[in-house]
Amino acid sequence: MDLVSLFIRSAFVENMIFAFFFGMCSYLAVSKTVKTAVGLGAAVIFVLTVTVPVNWLLDTYVLQEGALSWLGSEYADVDLSFLSFIMFIAVIASIVQLVEMIVEKFSPALYGALGIFLPLIAVNCAILGGALFMQQKQFFSIGESFTYGFGSGIGWFIAVVAIAAIREKIRYSHIPPPVRGVGMAFILTGLMGLAFLGFLGF
Amino acid sequence: MKFLRNILNKQKEAVEGNEKLKKFWPIFDSLDTFAFTPNHTTKSGSHIRDGIDLKRTMMTVIIALVPCLLFGMWNVGHQFYLAEGTPDVSMMEKFLYGLIEVLPLIVVSYGVGLGVEFIFCIKNGHEIQEGFLVSGMLIPLIMPVDVPLWMVGVATAFAVLIGKEIFGGTGMNVVNIALTARAFLFFAHPTKMSGDKVWIDGHTGATPLGDLATIQKYQAEMSAAADAGNQGLVDQLGTQIAELSEKTPSVMEAFIGTIPGSVGETSALCCLIGAIILLWTGIASWRIMVSFFVGGLSMGLLLNVVGGDTSQFMGLDPITQLMLGGFMFGLVFMATDPVTASQTNSGKWIYGFICGFLAILIRIANPAYPEGVMLAILFGNVMAPMIDHMVISFNIKRRKKRLQIA
Repeated sequence: MDLVSLFIRSAFVENMIFAFFFGMCSYLAVSKTVKTAVGLGAAVIFVLTVTVPVNWLLDTYVLQEGALSWLGSEYADVDLSFLSFIMFIAVIASIVQLVEMIVEKFSPALYGALGIFLPLIAVNCAILGGALFMQQKQFFSIGESFTYGFGSGIGWFIAVVAIAAIREKIRYSHIPPPVRGVGMAFILTGLMGLAFLGFLGF
Repeated sequence: MKFLRNILNKQKEAVEGNEKLKKFWPIFDSLDTFAFTPNHTTKSGSHIRDGIDLKRTMMTVIIALVPCLLFGMWNVGHQFYLAEGTPDVSMMEKFLYGLIEVLPLIVVSYGVGLGVEFIFCIKNGHEIQEGFLVSGMLIPLIMPVDVPLWMVGVATAFAVLIGKEIFGGTGMNVVNIALTARAFLFFAHPTKMSGDKVWIDGHTGATPLGDLATIQKYQAEMSAAADAGNQGLVDQLGTQIAELSEKTPSVMEAFIGTIPGSVGETSALCCLIGAIILLWTGIASWRIMVSFFVGGLSMGLLLNVVGGDTSQFMGLDPITQLMLGGFMFGLVFMATDPVTASQTNSGKWIYGFICGFLAILIRIANPAYPEGVMLAILFGNVMAPMIDHMVISFNIKRRKKRLQIA
């Protein structure tokens, strides 16, 4: 039950896009068509689901104060948490590299469509944000961090696919020239954020 | 009629003859076509002959809204005199009081909304479309009676500008305009709009939903106090709950609508009359209405099972739950908006169900918002294009498969 509420919380209430505005750059850039949005959304789900638990392990058994006590009692007061940023980024970058190779191998069309944004997941703030929130929330088990990563990924996926579908729908609307393109995407994000505010306070 | 035609003809000459006035053509044109059936013919492309056009669609919705409006006005007066302690005044007096309170809201909403629309049309040089006729009527109906007029004006301007004109005008908007206006006020001025209270001239009265949310809060506090062994607090909360419970309206009261609430939302009966008009003329989608209702009903039943014993709000029987607040109003007039709802038939089922389901969920699970219908429908609007996309791609896949088998 806790895991279910954690999942709903991470996917809707603390939606990466609408609550924290994380991962906006790729969100705005790939949401022109649903196809690319689904591709990148799936990649984000995968990367978040893998990196958050891995980073949790790293945090719990290496980085936290006293985390190294399994090595022996003389390491019990070592605090490596100042390394967490660099370690998290390294883990994320290597896993993104892995995803990139897999996508290139199995779906060259999607690889071409995603272009530069796939490697850019490595520096997508939603991914690092997921890892840092995980550290801040002090999860007790790998299951919790797994659920959190997966839920955040699903939230990002829903957001990006929903806006892509809307942008496809309004493609032939008579939008005033100054707000065409990214301007429209910002306004849409605002309106969607208004709709997502309903979950705030659950 | 002849007299009106003569006036309009005179205006027409003035607008067409004068170079400077030419840009005000859209305003004249809208007034002209509003008063008389236009004799326009299609200049290019396909020719479809149909008795129904945008203007007539909008007028039908307005007619469907009239019962809600009239009842809402009467109810405002009724609630006022009830709070004053003199509920025996005549029906006419109550109605007049409500009329005086509600009419300014309507005037401001139409004035600001049409003003923004006219400016855009003159600037873009295209004809005025009548999309705002319905929104302008819906906005006052979903506001608390005593909301300051400037708030109505600001919210209407925001909704028409950001919600509609920026997307290219009538028929292009993504979210429901009236609900955007309400959501804007809801988050910008939460003290006036949170849906748990309605003020009538200094008499603050909680809506039934607000009462139920308070009961839920008290019950949680009471069980905590009981665990802590604080018997005094338990008794005190118990009497408060009993007092509030007495105010919870019966199904019949909620159905007829003699309860406090926003102007047009209280009466499920009037919403049903509107629904019959909309369904009979084929303007609203019965699929959305049915699935919306089923969604709300199933969530109500689910909550009965989950938390019926611990919380009075969750244990409320689903029919009463659906009659309270803006659920029926949203079901009939908001969710069925043909522009912002799903376009595909199976999409409509999914869309309606999600809206209804979420409406009751937000109402109960979210202590900050005792009224969740507005946010649920906005969420549905945002998700509708995605649902359509899924339905269509599913259909494509299915037909491809059928082709392969054949």
